[in-house]
Amino acid sequence: MRRRKQNNEDQAEVNMTPMLDIVFILLIFFIVTATFLSEEGIDMTPPPESDAPPPPDAPSPIVVQVDQDNNIFVNRVRTDVDRVLSAVNRFRAESAGSAVLIEANDEASHGIIVRIWDDMNANGVPVSLTRTDGEAQ
Amino acid sequence: MARRGSRVATDEEEVELNMTPMLDVVFILLIFFIVTSVFIKEPGIDPIRPEALTEQDLNPSMLVAVNSENEIWIDRRVYEQAELQPIIEQLLQENPKARATIQGDEEADIGIILDVQDLLIENGVEVTISTLQE
Repeated sequence: MRRRKQNNEDQAEVNMTPMLDIVFILLIFFIVTATFLSEEGIDMTPPPESDAPPPPDAPSPIVVQVDQDNNIFVNRVRTDVDRVLSAVNRFRAESAGSAVLIEANDEASHGIIVRIWDDMNANGVPVSLTRTDGEAQ
Repeated sequence: MARRGSRVATDEEEVELNMTPMLDVVFILLIFFIVTSVFIKEPGIDPIRPEALTEQDLNPSMLVAVNSENEIWIDRRVYEQAELQPIIEQLLQENPKARATIQGDEEADIGIILDVQDLLIENGVEVTISTLQE
């Protein structure tokens, strides 16, 4: 009587062990393959095109050109990358609310464009990006 | 004798009781890792990304890297610009709601980055530009 009882409980334990093994192996697999990817970044996608003409009283944009040698021109005045914001602010003081248009040569470096874009965004200046493929102006 | 038998039974019950909470915890861990695991294909290179102040947290499921030599890396392989369309389609088939992040090197040409971005937008993928992590 006693012996049979013990046997029954032994079997119950034996049924548990392989499942536990499998569960642990699965657990270890998922722990090892888990990649906690954290990325930070900015959104540089252009706004959707609209057919509506711009309002007639919209101030003309401030053009920031970046040529293939990473020279920066704000409204055709050559500027340093650190001084783009102050140059833009000077033009914006004259015509408030004007946006910035970055005209990037295809060979301009990514870092410079992101830096200008970010500077403008951080200071609430509306900014958009177009590309000029070809020779410098 | 009967008394001894019952003591043996309680001993074995206790052994089983010790197992159950651990099993619960293991299962909860297992489910956590299954749910949070993203099988993301990493580009295999780590470009020097530009710094930015206005960065937001992204949760990309597709990574495209461009290094300073303007090589485009996806899933540990270099691709020519013309070869990108099929590989993007293939990645989209695996994960139709993918959001892409371009990891561009500071020294990379903006033209390449914008070409890749345009291509991804044409395929209906949300694109963001990765910046330096603190």
